[in-house]
Amino acid sequence: MNVHKLWEYKEYVNVNGMMLSSELISLLQNSLTLLQVENHFLHVQYWGQLYAIDADYHIAVGINNDAINDRKYFYTTDFKFWGLLPKAKKKYKHLSLLATYPFRGDPSLKIKVLDESLEDTNPDRCQQMKEESRLAATISNICEEAEICARGQLLKQPDGTTVINPNYYGLTAAEAKHLKSYQHIRIPQHRWNSNLLTRPDYNYSVDFLDSVDQDIPNGCWNLSLEQNGSVAYLKSLYWPGMMYFHKIRTPEVGFLYVGNGRKNLDVPFLL
Amino acid sequence: MSKTYMCEPDIIAANENVMPDLNNDLVMAKNFLKQQCAATGDTLYDHLVDIVHKIISQRPPDVVDSFEQYSWQVKQEKFRPNFDLLNDIYLSPPQLAIVRRVDEMFRLVASKSQRLEDVGEEEQELDLEEDSFKPRIADLIDHNYYFREGGYGLPDSECYAVYIALNMLAIKEPVATVRFFGKIFGTKANYYVAEVDLTIEELDRRIREFEMKDMPGEGEGLEEDKAQELEEQKEMVGEGEGKEEKPKEPVPPKLPEIPVSTFQPPPPIPVERPGQGVNKKVFYVCNQPGEPWICLPDVTPDQIRVARLTVRCMTGDLDAEVLTFPPFEGTERNYLRAQLARIQAATSISPQGFYTYGSGEEEDIDLEEGAGDMAFNPNPFYQGHTLKDLVDPNLTYWVHHGRYILNQGRTIWWNPNAGMEEGLEEEDDEGPPPLTPESGPSLFSPLADDARLEGGVAWTPRSSTSLLPDRSIAVLRSNVWPGAVAYSNVGKKSECLYVGWGLKAQPPNFSPLQLPRPQDEYVIGPEVMEMADPTFADEEAYRIAHLPPPPPPELPGEGEGFPEEEEEED
Repeated sequence: MNVHKLWEYKEYVNVNGMMLSSELISLLQNSLTLLQVENHFLHVQYWGQLYAIDADYHIAVGINNDAINDRKYFYTTDFKFWGLLPKAKKKYKHLSLLATYPFRGDPSLKIKVLDESLEDTNPDRCQQMKEESRLAATISNICEEAEICARGQLLKQPDGTTVINPNYYGLTAAEAKHLKSYQHIRIPQHRWNSNLLTRPDYNYSVDFLDSVDQDIPNGCWNLSLEQNGSVAYLKSLYWPGMMYFHKIRTPEVGFLYVGNGRKNLDVPFLL
Repeated sequence: MSKTYMCEPDIIAANENVMPDLNNDLVMAKNFLKQQCAATGDTLYDHLVDIVHKIISQRPPDVVDSFEQYSWQVKQEKFRPNFDLLNDIYLSPPQLAIVRRVDEMFRLVASKSQRLEDVGEEEQELDLEEDSFKPRIADLIDHNYYFREGGYGLPDSECYAVYIALNMLAIKEPVATVRFFGKIFGTKANYYVAEVDLTIEELDRRIREFEMKDMPGEGEGLEEDKAQELEEQKEMVGEGEGKEEKPKEPVPPKLPEIPVSTFQPPPPIPVERPGQGVNKKVFYVCNQPGEPWICLPDVTPDQIRVARLTVRCMTGDLDAEVLTFPPFEGTERNYLRAQLARIQAATSISPQGFYTYGSGEEEDIDLEEGAGDMAFNPNPFYQGHTLKDLVDPNLTYWVHHGRYILNQGRTIWWNPNAGMEEGLEEEDDEGPPPLTPESGPSLFSPLADDARLEGGVAWTPRSSTSLLPDRSIAVLRSNVWPGAVAYSNVGKKSECLYVGWGLKAQPPNFSPLQLPRPQDEYVIGPEVMEMADPTFADEEAYRIAHLPPPPPPELPGEGEGFPEEEEEED
């Protein structure tokens, strides 16, 4: 969510009963604006909150010229110092899915993860990982699977870069009811022409991202229209706590993750 | 060179000049742009005019970056047919249905409050009667304010609508207290849940109804069930025979009797009566504030047992089928009720001393129930705790006021042998050994005793603010039931709320109950053991031993296992 609009978005945000309190918004706006100035970001977004035992992590994203490839993630526990999250390694991405215990709130803490699929003699069976790496890996996992935007929110320029559409005017009520109007913010994983041609009204600069309706199983995204049908909410079942809202026919959109950073593997049983 | 552009009538005149001319070129280009597209009848000239017009009038920033987008939008607007025959018909906004319902609710609540005022002015006697019926409604708006201070709660618009809906519930249904329990997300619609106490009359009526249906713990129901089952079995057997009798010509070989299962299900655990244990509170749900509240049925121990073994999302439809293994008895209505019972039991917490046993108006009722089901009331002498105590990570200052649900699915342990001793006295000798009663943490046990999640604690305390210590309140969030929160301020306010999917966190993840083994192996005993065949010498010895004259004394150790086999061979 755009940090400078948090006060307006306050009423729309509701993830598992979590709402933004006034103090949180004030702290975020101050410290993130400073962060934006220090790093010369075009946009700064509040990404969400990861529950930990001692102190919760707050995550922010800084976006520069490219809205997909040029994203930098920051974390903090006290709103004074924002640390840059390292790039997630593939190994840690795997390990972070295996780690079941909650975050501690101390980025330098070293934790051990047991990979039970490996044999007892395998030296990789029990590996060490810093909590910071785990945090980075978890966030990168969430981003890949659950960071979404509405169709048209991101535009692909002729030179290949992706920008946040400055003239975005929202989905219509009819469009908002379809999962096809929502897209993953990630480097597309499906073929470009399948993303493009599954729409009758395709547009090269808009339909280059994977749409959410292709996610498996059908129903892992829960789309609901609330507040008399004026706000569309998308909630991920795989990452409980990931919520996307879009006020229909307005440029007001945003997502927020508030949760414990655990992927819900029970989705097939839930539906 | 003067750049006077010509109007169209002049073009013909201009054409007569053969000289190359800027004006001429311009007109040519213009004509080209004005060529109509065969398919749409549109011209590029008009399109560009429209775009320029739109850009100039709307003045968007950085238009060059999104020029294509703009052009596309202009085209889209143009092709919208504005000669629609339905134009005259007013299409009402889609919210109309909801608004109608909410409006009805507002009228009802407003008329009620109006009537109360009128009564207060005119007739004092009636007022007294009304007062005795007036249900207590927990002040959701006030509590929501504190929850929002702590970073949880409902949006204001929703909160107000729900609060009005609670008032409607209090007017329409026979309830004594109303409290907003929380919100359960569903895949198609969400549930708003109200937790109520029934009025004494309604409770009595339900208890009578309940006792008419079956007497808990007396075994009457069991016998009836068994009789029914036997009848069913007989019917089934009968049907089987009937079918075989029809094709009579090829005489069927005489079949051995169809084996009848000897399995006897363990006696069902009796349901706790309304107003007791897990059914102490009654839950009303609705999908939208303004819709009629629907009362959920009482929960049975078996439903709780199954709900504990499964995970499932609510759909938002109370009559939806619940397909789980082990099979769940009932629809989503019952499933929701079972989940609510579990959530309520696990996440109802309050600061120590906030509630106290008995000493309220309903004292006569507690005495009937026995020690396990003591009623509790807000403690009038509660003074509050300091914030430091409330956010202490050991959580010794927070206690449960939800009754622990035992493995049986009841809060009060029921002795399965009690019924048997009455019913099956002839089998007393092989009756099961006396069971140790299950017991859980007692009411008002501190959260510190909660079972710990893997590597973590069940509740996380947080203080709502770091900047303004004077205003801060303590907020607890459950890690076991994500979405359950409770707050307490330094004064005398405390409340719990649940907003979530109704799913319990089960690290690492849920694993479904394994099917039982299809059939147990035959118990290994002497009759199925493999042993050596008798040799000729053995048989000889046996034959000699069984000769007609009185046999000589038997050889010890031989022939122990054999006689039966020999007989079969004969």
